Amino acid sequence: MGLVPGLITGLGVTFKEIIKTVTTGAETVQYPHEKEDPPPRARGVIALHQENCTACMLCVRECPDWCIFIEGHKTLAPPRRTGGKPRTVNALDRFDIDYGLCMYCGICVEVCPFDAIFWSPEYEYSEPRIADLLHDKTRLSQWMETVPEYESYEAGSAAKVKKVPRP
Amino acid sequence: MTAISDRRQLAYIAAQAADARVNVELEAEGMTLNIGPQHPATHGTLRIVARLDGEQVVEANPVMGYMHRGYEKLAEVRTYPQVTALINRIDWLGSFANEVPFILACEQLMGIEAPPRAQHIRTILFEMARIANITLFLGDMGVQLGAVTPIFYAFRDREHILNQIESATGGRFHPNFDRIGGLKDDLPAGWIEETKRSLREIHKFCDQMDDLIIGNEIFQARTRNIGVIPPDVALSYGLSGPNLRASGVDWDLRRDSPAGLAYDQVDWRVWTHPDGDSFARYWVRLQETRESCKIVEQLLDSIPAGPIMAKVPRIIKVPEGEAFVETENPLGVMGYYVVSQGGLEPFRVKIRSASFSNMSISPWLLKGAYVPDVITILASLYFILGDIDR
Repeated sequence: MGLVPGLITGLGVTFKEIIKTVTTGAETVQYPHEKEDPPPRARGVIALHQENCTACMLCVRECPDWCIFIEGHKTLAPPRRTGGKPRTVNALDRFDIDYGLCMYCGICVEVCPFDAIFWSPEYEYSEPRIADLLHDKTRLSQWMETVPEYESYEAGSAAKVKKVPRP
Repeated sequence: MTAISDRRQLAYIAAQAADARVNVELEAEGMTLNIGPQHPATHGTLRIVARLDGEQVVEANPVMGYMHRGYEKLAEVRTYPQVTALINRIDWLGSFANEVPFILACEQLMGIEAPPRAQHIRTILFEMARIANITLFLGDMGVQLGAVTPIFYAFRDREHILNQIESATGGRFHPNFDRIGGLKDDLPAGWIEETKRSLREIHKFCDQMDDLIIGNEIFQARTRNIGVIPPDVALSYGLSGPNLRASGVDWDLRRDSPAGLAYDQVDWRVWTHPDGDSFARYWVRLQETRESCKIVEQLLDSIPAGPIMAKVPRIIKVPEGEAFVETENPLGVMGYYVVSQGGLEPFRVKIRSASFSNMSISPWLLKGAYVPDVITILASLYFILGDIDR
């Protein structure tokens, strides 16, 4: 045992913390009144940029718990150049993500080759009914405006900063 | 009518018989105490059936499997990139550490190596997962002994580390950031400075725990010479990690086989304690948190420039073969035995998790312990239920 008993030293720590809390305020974020600010990379909710989606089903196949549902059909679009042949494109009929199943792994966003889905750090979309957690394509498109720009990288990085498509 | 009255009579007889049985049990020498499955001291659903003689435990048997989620089988029907999302959930307090041995095993099978920048950042996140995991233990051990203050400090200061993990990977608890051949993304700008600031908070937290818990006479009286594991017993039960080092065995895979990680580039030491009791296990973990902070601080200053992803095909097929890689995770040695038949999915994945082996010593260790010490000993062994049952 040292000069000061350990119990007293421990109480000193607690006392210092009390003084700190009283003077500078508590660290707790009082949630409904004040909100935490998640970082731009936070995986909150998936946003869909409908124009880029070609219904290629890659995200559906790669999803580990199969919570994405896509249906599409082929249509003819006007040609790019005047006088050209009309193009066949895939039109998106249905794009649903069931957040009751989603485990927020981010694989779908990573595999999307056309940059059609993005992470948004929004997290306030809980529902009283579990069936309402199935977001359809209009709801998913509404999240698009909450998607932040990609952050620049730390020095020494060889990666390129991508851009988020805006309407 | 007669049937009902008959049933009543039977129930009455059965109740009488049960009473008699209870009486006989109370008169008998021993008593069976069920700790768990729902007990706050077991951090999850672990059941310990203890046979008591007065205040002393005669025999204690852990009953595991209440949280079995079958990750080994689930991994057989998932592609390799999907498996990392699942195995995040094994040791849920230090999730990133679960991914590393699996990815290293796959890389070994495919014969590729992550670029140095990726290895560096991998090591940083690995150590940060360790800090996040052990910080909670440092507070939690106090709660098991009746001191409530440290856990609040632990939760508060762990948040600094979790925020940094979130801003780099996107997930506070389940990063899913490690990929075969490198990492998912590079670090965002300003991350290194922020991380250094959060590590300073952890250093302060460790000093506080030194004053609050290590120096506390009540804590010492409750943990010194309680639950002593001699080194030979620890080795024979397959203990690993801080539990083994607290018994005086100088064995750390970070130093002994740092393949694929950047531990050989930093200056650090392995802490051991000769006593092997509950106090030693706490002390070793506290020193290890400090040491992890030192490792991360040194690595942050020397991240090499370059890509973070090796050349890997878009659709990952692992060639036929088998590999076993183990690393020093926060709870001990974690290993993955991956068998591939050349397809998209692993043929078999066997997970060697640290807590399962650490827990297996409990029948030996709890024999002869007093009931209040059972909780102390279990807390100092520090297991995570997801890591035991998988």
